[in-house]
Parts: sequence; structure tokens; C-alpha cells
Amino acid sequence: MNDTLIQTVIPVFFLTTVAMHTIKKNQNIAILYSLQSLVIAALLASVFIENGTFFLLLITMATLIVKVILAPGFFIRLVALHKLRFAASSYANLPLTLVIISLITAMASSGIFESLTNIVATRHTYLALALSSMLISIFLMVNRKGALSQIIGILSLENSIVLFAILAGLEQSAALQFGILFDISIWIFIAFSFVTMIYRHLGSEDVTNMRSLQD
Amino acid sequence: MSIVSRHRKRMSIITLIASIIALIGTIDIAQKVASSGSYGPYSFIYVDSLSAIVMMLIAVIGFFTTAYSFPYLGRERRKGLIGNTRIKKYFIQLNFFLAAMFISAASSSPVITWIFLEASTLSTAFLISYYDKPSTIEAAWKYLIINSTGLLLGFFGTLLYFAAFSQSDASGLITWQMLAAQASNLDPNLAKAAFVFVLIGYGTKLGLVPMHTWKPDTYSKSPAPIGALFSGALIPVALLAILKFKNITDTATGVSFTQNLLIAFGIASIVIAAFSMLTVKNYKRLLGYSSIEHAGIIVLGFGFGGIGVLAAILHTIYHSLLKSSLFFTSGNILLKYHSARIKNVKGLINTLPVTGTLFFISFIAVTGLPPFGIFLTEIATISAGAKSYLYISILVVLSLALVFVGFFKYVVAMVFGQSDEKVKPGDENVWLIIPPLGLILMAIVLSFYIPPFLQTLIQDAVVKY
Repeated sequence: MNDTLIQTVIPVFFLTTVAMHTIKKNQNIAILYSLQSLVIAALLASVFIENGTFFLLLITMATLIVKVILAPGFFIRLVALHKLRFAASSYANLPLTLVIISLITAMASSGIFESLTNIVATRHTYLALALSSMLISIFLMVNRKGALSQIIGILSLENSIVLFAILAGLEQSAALQFGILFDISIWIFIAFSFVTMIYRHLGSEDVTNMRSLQD
Repeated sequence: MSIVSRHRKRMSIITLIASIIALIGTIDIAQKVASSGSYGPYSFIYVDSLSAIVMMLIAVIGFFTTAYSFPYLGRERRKGLIGNTRIKKYFIQLNFFLAAMFISAASSSPVITWIFLEASTLSTAFLISYYDKPSTIEAAWKYLIINSTGLLLGFFGTLLYFAAFSQSDASGLITWQMLAAQASNLDPNLAKAAFVFVLIGYGTKLGLVPMHTWKPDTYSKSPAPIGALFSGALIPVALLAILKFKNITDTATGVSFTQNLLIAFGIASIVIAAFSMLTVKNYKRLLGYSSIEHAGIIVLGFGFGGIGVLAAILHTIYHSLLKSSLFFTSGNILLKYHSARIKNVKGLINTLPVTGTLFFISFIAVTGLPPFGIFLTEIATISAGAKSYLYISILVVLSLALVFVGFFKYVVAMVFGQSDEKVKPGDENVWLIIPPLGLILMAIVLSFYIPPFLQTLIQDAVVKY
């Protein structure tokens, strides 16, 4: 894989994951997810250029269509339909959120996860950033009160895992990438159906309004 | 076929026939595995002894669930709670759920196992929100988010195992056997990290503490037959995936790491579930916490090793049958009393004498009283750990006593309390009685007699796992 490409896109991926915590508008979070997915597509394209396998080209195209175009488009349409312009608030304020993100990043780069980030020793920094992105995505799901943010958190987590796998050379066969993409597509459809149901019943995407589960 | 059929009855019959075919098929596969050790007619299928046991459990619980679902949903339709369209969707999603579990259990590749376990999550999300009420949607949302996150972490752990392969080796489908063969090439620290992610990921599906928070809500809000499938069929499928990864990790790191982790998660699940059951107000949530407790006992058995492995496998079988029976009887209770609150259900033995009796017998069996099989498996699990993990074994005994006390006070009040005059006794549909009765009879028979082919499978699984 092209080292210049890696040096350029991995920081972009990491920064988009961090930026998801700071952005207030749901539409912009969808755009950040699209940008994140574009990074994945670019790396897959780079792998295809090296290997020349036809299936890898199909995977790259499918990633572009599903993750870069369709999923964010679906998301933006949902936002417009239910007028969910602004994301629900978060539990931690912005300065505290950034402190936690910094701690997560430091932890991912530390000796705790050495066995993971040294799978490919020459890419230690980038693997650490991919791992940080995974943990930051989980933090997004925990910190944000909106159902839409939780969806993006899960999709971002999936992107981060795929990024880690590509960088660490853990890529599986193209046929299975198709299976994973198909799974994610169905997941997106189901999650968005649920957001519609949540909005219909609660009038809001704020998950703290969910208090019907009682013993 | 259930997708194309418009007629509700025809759809139910098609599903029932399919479940019978699946049951016959899995018994046939199990006998082939018992005679030859494994079954793999195609490259993407590999069924070993434990997979065969799990597939039989899916088939048995699936058959009884299908048989129970038809009269159960019919009753709800007559009450105006649901319509024909919703019943049709139920059977379509039920079939997808069963198919996903079968493929996950029979797959030769860990990634296909993951894909179809994720598919099982997706196919059940709408089953949990079946009644389209705020509480059911909340439960389904919680289930979707927690399980999807867990399974993604499980997927990450799965990928980490592939580090043992070079890029060229990884171009095709990596199978369980290939992973096992390459396990000694894995960096031990990487294998440990991978197993942690796998245990957290698939342990979420199993409902182990601390990834258990979705379980009581999901079990209490989904239709009773679906609760039976979650507890009786899904738990063994998730457990199978964890144990296959455990075997691979043990080759790379030695057995103590995975055993200690399983013991830690197991005891935490048992203790937390035991205390949680003391303050429950909803009998379906009670069954949810009971499932967490039993998942803990099962992984504890595998963690202790030795006779604990045999106990854990038998416990999985008995628990699947008896917990499913409890869910079916709870469904009958819900149909009669229109309430899942424990305080609103009294005098079952008078109002629903057969259901009440079956409910009470299932409770006795599932809490580990003799002469049922679970009594022996719990004793065996505790004795497996007594030598090396004495304090943990003592904690297990105390927790199980607490579980019994908690369960006992609710069940006795429900079954033997003063009946409510507003609830008319009788009107028990025989088709709602047969499935739980069938499962209880199977559990009783298996407590005393295990067919030879099943004995072979269990013995082989004990050696392998």
C-alpha cells in the first residue's frame, strides 16, 4: 500500500472521528461519516491497484456506493424528514469530551495495546490511530444522547475496525467483504426504521426520553 | 415460502413443516457426526460434535416454538392485539432467525459465523418490537445497539486471529480448522487480546455480565415464544463460537488464561443475576435474569474444566429445554391475566391448573432441585471447581441458594396464592399446553437416559472442548 496515501488519509480518518463529537448538526455528522468511508474506499482502491483483483474493485465500488453515498444520503433524508437538524446533547461537555478523547488516544498508543499496534511494527502509529478511532466511536455512542449519534457511532466503529484490518494486513477474502457490506446495509436500514419508530412514539431522537422500560 | 404465502394458516403450516424437516435433518446429521466424528459435505459447512448438539437444540426449540406460536398468536389476534399482517411478518422473521442460527452453528468459517450471528440480531430486532409500543421499541433499540456493538468487537477479535496468516494464505476462506492449525504461530499476547474481544463480543449475545443489560428488557417485552428461542437456542450458538475461539487461544497461550476469564465472567453473571432476581416485579424479567445466571453457570463449568465441561454441556441442554418451557407457560399466564406483573398473578393452580403445574415443575427443575438433570450438573460444576477455586465454589453455592429463594417466593405466590375472582378459571388451550409439556418430558427423560448417539457426541465434545 502507498505510504504517502496512508500518511495522508489516516490522520483525516482520525480527525473525522474526533470531529463527530464536536459537531452539533446531524447533517454534518453524516458528511463526516461519508468522509470517513471515503478514506476506507481509497485504501481499498490502493490495495486493488497493487493486487489487480477484480473482486477488490467490486468491493471498492460497493463501499463507495453503500457507505459514501447511500448511507449518508439515507441519514440526511431521515434528518430532513423528522426535522432533526441538531443532534441531541451529550452527557459530557466539550472540554471534558476532548480530554477523554485525548486520554483514549494516549491509552491506545501506550503499552497496554502493544500487541495490537505492533502487528505491523512499521505501522504502529497508524494502527494506534485506528484503535483510538474504535474506542472514540464507542465513546460517541455512550456520550451522545441522540439515537442518530448512536447509529453513526456504530457505523464509525465498523469503519475503524475495517481500517485496522487493512493496515494490519488482516484483510479477508473479497467475498466476505461483500458479506460484511451486505450485513451493514441491512443494519443501516433496520436502525433507520427504528429511529422513525422512536420519533413517532417519543417525538424526539433523545434516548434519555426512553423511560418506558419498567419492572 | 412463508414470504410468498398470504394466508396466515398456510404460512404457519409451512413454518411447522420446515421445522419438522429441520429437526429430522439435524438428528440425521448428529448421527453421522456421532459415527464419523464430523460432517462437512461442502467447504463452507463443518459440523463437529458440539455443533451437532447445538443444531439439535436449535431444531428442537425451533419446532416447539413454531408449534406454540400458532395458537399463541391466534389468541392474541382474537383479542385484537395484533392483525394478520403482523402474524405474517412474525413467521417470516422467525424463519430468518432460525436459518441464521443454523448457518452460524454449522459454518466452517468464523467470519460466516459472525455474519449470521449479526443476521440473527437484525432478524430479531423487529420481533422484539413486535407490539409496536414505546416500551417494546425501547427494548428493541437497546438490544440492537448493545448487541451490534458487542458483535463488532467480537468481529474485531475474530480478525485479530488472522494475524497468524500471511496475506497470501488469507486470500481464501479461513476456516476453524485452519485457525486451529496456525494457532501455535500466533503471538500469545495477541491471542489473549483477541480472546478478550471475542469473549466480550459473543458474551454480549450470551448475556454475560457486564454485557447483560439488554436481556431482562428484551425477554420481558418480546413475545413469549421469541423469549424461548433467545434463551433456548441463541445462548448455545453464541457459546459455541466462544468455545471454538477458546480452543484456538489455548493452543497459543495455554489453558489458564481463557479458563480464568471464563470463571471471572461466569461468577460475576451468577452473583449479579442472583441479587437482581430478589427485587424483580415482572415474571418475564425474572426469566431473563435466570438466563443470565444459567449462562454464568455454563461458562463457569467450561472455565473449571475437567468434569465441569461435561456438566456445562449437559446443563446447556437441560437449560434450553426447561427455560423454553418456562417461557411458553409464562405466555399462557400472560394470555390469561393480561399482565406480566408478579403481584397480578395469583392462584395459577386454580385458574390454569395444567399451566400452573407445568410452570411449577419447570421452576423446580431450572432452580436445580433433584431429581432433575440441572441438580446434577450444578453439583458437578461446583465440585469441579471446589479443589482449585474453593471460595468461588462457595460463592456459587450461596448465589444459587439466593436464586432459589428469589425464584421460590415469586413462583409460590403466583401458583398457590389466593386466586383473583375476576379471572375465570379454565379455558386452557391444549395446543398451548403440548409444547411446554413436551419440553419438560424431554428434559426429564434426558435426566435419566441419554440416547447412545447423543452420549457419543457429548463425550467427543468433552474431549475436544
